[in-house]
Amino acid sequence: MAIAALITWLITAVGGFVMLAGWIGRGGHRPGSSGRLSPTMVFTHLLLAAVGLIVWIIYVAADTDALAWVAFILLLPVALLGFTMFARWLGSRRTSGAPESRFPMPVVLGHGLFAAVTLVLVLLTAVGVGE
Amino acid sequence: MRLMDSAKQPVTTLAGSYGHPVHPALVAVPIGAWIASFVFDVASRLVSDGHFLAEGSRWLIGLGVLGALAAALAGFLDLVAIPPGTRAFRIAITHMSINLTVTGLYGVGFALRGGSADRVGWGPLVLSAVALAGLGVGGWLGGTLAFRYGVRVADEATQRTGYVRAGSPEEDS
Repeated sequence: MAIAALITWLITAVGGFVMLAGWIGRGGHRPGSSGRLSPTMVFTHLLLAAVGLIVWIIYVAADTDALAWVAFILLLPVALLGFTMFARWLGSRRTSGAPESRFPMPVVLGHGLFAAVTLVLVLLTAVGVGE
Repeated sequence: MRLMDSAKQPVTTLAGSYGHPVHPALVAVPIGAWIASFVFDVASRLVSDGHFLAEGSRWLIGLGVLGALAAALAGFLDLVAIPPGTRAFRIAITHMSINLTVTGLYGVGFALRGGSADRVGWGPLVLSAVALAGLGVGGWLGGTLAFRYGVRVADEATQRTGYVRAGSPEEDS
């Protein structure tokens, strides 16, 4: 289950980087951008998710139970920020020219879906299901 | 905004405020830990019971890897501030690639060093030496970005305010 979570986490990360590259490529992180995603929101989401992933890799290697909970707790604000950005992205699709308005729908939905699966798998692992 | 000025501004306060970037502060952790680790490696071969040095060296490598990953996250934020297609951007990509490779080499070194040896073997020691040399090159390029091209360094007008003597009329230049 821990390895499954690692795989879904990595797939989620790839989707995130695809969106990040498109967003930065259209200047979403520059001051005065017409986008609705603030750089602090985007990068906090990225940083916490990346730290969580590192904690999860250490958990998989070291098998220290507390680390699974640390990873789960880190993922909660990540998920909250993700939902907030998803809501803003839905709004921005009507604003042509926003850097995030051209994110491909399958990437956005896939990212959210794999993120949700990851969160559930991490929680189940932390609780000890399947041991 | 001129291209150069955009590289001076943080893309988010997570990267530190203007004139106080987080990345160069964090890189002190892996640089210090990995240099100390190498000193421990060599020392473990010189003293009679070097077990504690070999053990400490592995801890320092692990500490350095975690510090490097934290520094990499902050460094990524400074990378995206640099306009693509410029010399500074190309150097930044090279700097990132070298340092991520170095971090990977130390990750391998950490894994190789299980067990409880009385001294650090030649294999892990040479690996650390190679990684440390790479760190020197990566660090040099980081220095070029900061001190030659002024990435995340405050502009000259801001710098000038540090050179006004108390009580003297401000210079116009």
